Amino acid sequence: MDNAVTTLAVRKAGGLTSVVDITGDITAASEPALMSAYEEAERQHAKRLVLNFTGLEYMNSGGIGMLVTLLVRANRQGQPLSAYGLTAHYREIFELTRLDEAITIYDDERSALAG
Amino acid sequence: MNGVATPAPRRLASFALASVPGSERAAIAQVADSVADLNLPPGRLDKLKTAVAEATTNAIEHGNDSRPDLAVDIEVFFSGDEIVITVTDRGGRQAAGRLGARAGGDGDDELPDLARKLSGDQGPRGWGLFLIRHMVDDMEVTTSGERRTVRLTMRTPGAAAPSALVRTHSGGVSDG
Repeated sequence: MDNAVTTLAVRKAGGLTSVVDITGDITAASEPALMSAYEEAERQHAKRLVLNFTGLEYMNSGGIGMLVTLLVRANRQGQPLSAYGLTAHYREIFELTRLDEAITIYDDERSALAG
Repeated sequence: MNGVATPAPRRLASFALASVPGSERAAIAQVADSVADLNLPPGRLDKLKTAVAEATTNAIEHGNDSRPDLAVDIEVFFSGDEIVITVTDRGGRQAAGRLGARAGGDGDDELPDLARKLSGDQGPRGWGLFLIRHMVDDMEVTTSGERRTVRLTMRTPGAAAPSALVRTHSGGVSDG
């Protein structure tokens, strides 16, 4: 029944920034993929992570929990997290949970990389 | 008293799902299908879908302990100015003593606080009930024996009247 598919691709975006392209779902089941992506960004010596939610299809409370876990890890390393590509609905959820205060939200990749 | 009768709630859908991971996605799809004729604004529909997904996940994981043999029963009603969705699991007896605090389970014993989560005072999860409460206009939990029902209400002023159809769990359609 659980057909959730999450694909996370990590790419360098100039300087010391890595972009994580999220495709599919972010749920509690995404933890291995999300942590693997984080480790890949570390291998790229990223000092800053940008999450690209343009391909996000579904995120639930378990996925929000995964983002909190990611934030804890990134905070420990002093790596700022930012994001772009959120729909209005998920942007509102970021505001409700106050994730938007810990993850800077941008409208698009260009502004996220410039930020 | 303004003399205007409130329409009786009409059941738009009734279906049961196995308590397995991913059933919440089926719940979203079937609920969205059942309210399609109401032409909800996209933002409202997104909120309804998120509330249904979280309530169903709680029912699966906490009410039914992820036992595939236990069903989550979902019904959708429309009364003219509100949509009511009931999500019923078999967690009534285990929840009887802590409904006031936890309602739908999910570990929401206290209000989630991002700052506390980031400092390690709270676990990273526990957002489900919080989300439900912010997505719909009202949420209440009732128990009857082993059956626990989470009732979600979304007010829908100006929603279109649906066609007189009821979608059943088998995917068939009957007169409502």
